[in-house]
Amino acid sequence: MKELVLKKTVFSYQGHSFSHDVYTCPQCGKVLIPKELAEGRIAKVEEQLEDK
Amino acid sequence: MSNIVRNTYSVCPECLKKIPAVIVKKQNNYFLEKTCSEHGSFSAVVWRGGHIPMEEWGSYRPPENEKEMPDCPHACGLCSGHLQSTCCVLLEITGRCNLSCPFCFAESGFECDDPSVEELKTYFKHLVEKGNTFVHLSGGEPTVRDDLPDVVAAARDAGCENIQLNSNGIRLGRDRSYTKELADAGLSFVFMQFDGTEDAIYEKLRGKPLFAEKKSAIEACSQELLGVTLVPTVVPGVNDHNIGEIVKFGLDNSPAVRGIHFQPVSYFGRYPDPPADEDRITLPEVLYAIEEQTDARLKISDFLPSRCDHPGCGFHGDFVVLPEGLIKLTRKSSSADNSCCFSDNSAEHIKNRNFVSRRWKRIPSLTIKKDNPGNDFSDMDTFLERVKTHGFTITAMAFQDAYTLDIERLRRCSLHVYKDGKTIPFCSRYLTRC
Repeated sequence: MKELVLKKTVFSYQGHSFSHDVYTCPQCGKVLIPKELAEGRIAKVEEQLEDK
Repeated sequence: MSNIVRNTYSVCPECLKKIPAVIVKKQNNYFLEKTCSEHGSFSAVVWRGGHIPMEEWGSYRPPENEKEMPDCPHACGLCSGHLQSTCCVLLEITGRCNLSCPFCFAESGFECDDPSVEELKTYFKHLVEKGNTFVHLSGGEPTVRDDLPDVVAAARDAGCENIQLNSNGIRLGRDRSYTKELADAGLSFVFMQFDGTEDAIYEKLRGKPLFAEKKSAIEACSQELLGVTLVPTVVPGVNDHNIGEIVKFGLDNSPAVRGIHFQPVSYFGRYPDPPADEDRITLPEVLYAIEEQTDARLKISDFLPSRCDHPGCGFHGDFVVLPEGLIKLTRKSSSADNSCCFSDNSAEHIKNRNFVSRRWKRIPSLTIKKDNPGNDFSDMDTFLERVKTHGFTITAMAFQDAYTLDIERLRRCSLHVYKDGKTIPFCSRYLTRC
């Protein structure tokens, strides 16, 4: 079993791309999105990008 | 060749009687046409659609199978036939003004008693009880009142969350301690009359050169971290050539300037002569001018129809100003394609008010940070900070007068004027002085 590693990852939404460091599997490339990130920064970015 | 786009109702510009009307398309342009049995026929251009056909702008469909149209606009306040609830409420806190503009929707400049702070407290309390916590202090020119800081404090104490001042900015620039008092009392942001970047424009529209006064007012507001939205009244042949320069000025002065709210001239209140079609500029023309006069730095496709009102009433586009360049934010909502103020859904209202508020307010905790050329705005944290501090919103609202009034648009109005305990749609208020 390998440990997850922090890696700058690109997120795309509504035609924009943003990066953030998240834990990534070095073998398969899948990323772990913690609940705090999904409900925090990611939700805030979505809110800013969406029309009212 | 002409085609009827839809039927509606309007008023006779002479007697204000409600009469049937049609929206007619002739080549690429759209006209509101109507006939009063007593005063004859009237036609006014409402949309020049060479670049954006009216039918392709927004998805509004009038209600069908209504037994009876409400008695618009004569029964205003809001009746059961009104299709939009209140988003923002405007209060006229004075009829006096320190200018005497040839154009003035409110016919300001007359002497009358201002409502007292005590009276206004009652109004604010009533509004907050109804859930209306976003107020525009208007007039006249509100800054002629020495007790305006007390008015702002009264609104704040009553529970108003967003307190907007509509002002020509003259006193704000000249009397910095007064501006500070307003900020300290809880003022949220300023909607500042700003017709262009040339004194000749102000001489025509306001009777005197005012560009230096406007810059001073913006500086004064910036010192107090009061966000400023520039509000140009766009008049063909006077300042429609200057639209691109207004946009450039606004962007160059971000974050002191938080946005621009274009208002194509409408002919109610005070205006020099009855309008001909060449005296009007329509929303798609403003959009085209933005694109053409900014050399396509901003494009028509960066903007969307108003969702708070009828699509024919306005547009908006959201941007983030970077040290070099812009991020364009406006995208379709992830929610259903309906109006943000349609129905009494308080969650939608709160969402919309929060959206507007965060676009127009300055953010005190972040505005001290300097631009760093090395900032990576694709980084989530950097982006989130930048959008708060340097978000920039360009909007427009096309008010309706007795010549252009389309009751289907009026019924979707969410900007209301508070008067005698009633909330009255803005255009109806200044159309009929009811």
